[in-house]
Amino acid sequence: MTIFSRRVLLRSIGAGGAGLVLAKFLESVGEPLQEPTVGRNLPSFTGPGTNPFWNSVGPMVSEPQKAPLILLMDRPVQLETPRHYFSSAFTPNEAFYVRWHLDGIPNTVDLKEWRLRVEGNVEKPLTLSLPDLLTKFRSVSLAAVNQCSGNSRSRLQPRVAGGQWGNGAMGNALWTGVKLRDILDATGLKSGSVEVQFQGLDTGKGPEGFGSNKFMKSLRLDNPVVDECIVAYSMNSQPLPMLNGFPVRLVVPGFFATYWIKSLTWIRALDKPDDNFWMKTAYRVPDTPRGTTTPEEVQTGKVKTVPINRMPVRSFLISPDGSTKIPAGLPLMLRGIAFSGAGRVSKVQISEDGARSWRVATLGKDYGAYSFRTWEMAWTPSHRGTYQIAVRATDEKGNTQADDPVWNPGGYLWNRIERQELAVGSAA
Amino acid sequence: MRIPTIFVLILLVLSMLATVALYADFQSGYYAPVGASSLAQQTPPKLSLDADYEVGMYPIYPALFPSGDGVTEVKAYCNTCHSPRYITMQPPLPAAVWTAEVNKMVNSYGAAIPDDAKQKIIEYLQTHFTHETRKRS
Repeated sequence: MTIFSRRVLLRSIGAGGAGLVLAKFLESVGEPLQEPTVGRNLPSFTGPGTNPFWNSVGPMVSEPQKAPLILLMDRPVQLETPRHYFSSAFTPNEAFYVRWHLDGIPNTVDLKEWRLRVEGNVEKPLTLSLPDLLTKFRSVSLAAVNQCSGNSRSRLQPRVAGGQWGNGAMGNALWTGVKLRDILDATGLKSGSVEVQFQGLDTGKGPEGFGSNKFMKSLRLDNPVVDECIVAYSMNSQPLPMLNGFPVRLVVPGFFATYWIKSLTWIRALDKPDDNFWMKTAYRVPDTPRGTTTPEEVQTGKVKTVPINRMPVRSFLISPDGSTKIPAGLPLMLRGIAFSGAGRVSKVQISEDGARSWRVATLGKDYGAYSFRTWEMAWTPSHRGTYQIAVRATDEKGNTQADDPVWNPGGYLWNRIERQELAVGSAA
Repeated sequence: MRIPTIFVLILLVLSMLATVALYADFQSGYYAPVGASSLAQQTPPKLSLDADYEVGMYPIYPALFPSGDGVTEVKAYCNTCHSPRYITMQPPLPAAVWTAEVNKMVNSYGAAIPDDAKQKIIEYLQTHFTHETRKRS
């Protein structure tokens, strides 16, 4: 009786090789047959050279109300958004990066008790409940990028101490809430008010009077940004995640996130400039073009500094991300985002030869001057090889990205032209 | 004629292997066991309808520290305001930077660290976390 043919028999003997591999695998669960080419863990730290990866290298973790994000710090919480979430103009709340300064951060807010307090050098102090904010003021919405001052700190050479962010300490959301100016008008600023100070629910274990005890930031009242600020109770048309500042946070369009106080609870009019640690000592940048200096200059003690403020123009390639080999001749889309704290992105240019020659990309929908602007460009790698894709954005004020690095002791303001290596393989 | 089940099974297995062999002509594939991710899925929380908005505790992920003189002081004092993961997150830093960082914690942030403990912390960080001394893990 022969149910299978000679040919099938031969074929099955020929399959022995592959079968053996399978069998060997089944025997050896728990021990790789050879080093896998994907799935190797990142190193646990980078340096002393620049971090070569787009994101920081921490493990992925789950935190309340969050998708798995990259861990920088567990206490106080600092989480970075993985690159692929930036393929759209708006960053999902559950993927939005997190950065707190003090470890006493709220995990419960009782809205029966919580009030936004407006006090200091004012005519009529206010205590506003969430329903007050929702019903007694007109609501406004604005798309705005929130970026940590230290985003991309791990790029600096020499490396500086601090949160070792890759590029993912940023996000864009549609913020809805009350105009700060409407609240200030309702409370009535007394004459002599020069700054307005903001404080949230976070507290630290350091002694009173130190930055480790309270986190407070201030804006000069003559800064035009005050008229653009929003006390936001909604983020992408959802309540704010607790880790992003529930119930309300300050939105300071175009400014770095250090001013965007989370779980905002005190708004204080000041009759003299704020000299608390977080204004006077921390978050200051050299008063030089691009805020750049050198370790040697800093050593002289003569570098004049100013409080960090608006974000410089930046742009990123999001896909392809370099993790996949591309066959030569295969047409594909390069896609990414751009933004600037100084105004609308007006142009994004792409180079396939490491920033020597440039082509203009097509910009996506305009969600406003302070939003991420998506861009894309059709691209066909003509031949096998390694391509250095570079991205450069220009904003409506004419600011453009430079190819020189930035260095300052705080690790702030990085906006060098980004590069991504893409491997293009033979197609036949 | 009735074909015994065992033959049917053998036939199935052999045809499977044959398929594998066919595919082996232009691709090769295998699975490699690697450490399973520790990202367990969470059950959805039970939500009350009052004015309390609660998200539960934030998790702590203890960082690994090389043993040695000063590790106790690091874990005790540096854990007051932030978890010591702040140290393991850093790139290797020059010895002078570690001295400056610890002094910053005491002078700028008001960390209450006795002088001898402070010295031990600086020495520990310089022994394990500079370009020359930091070990890849």
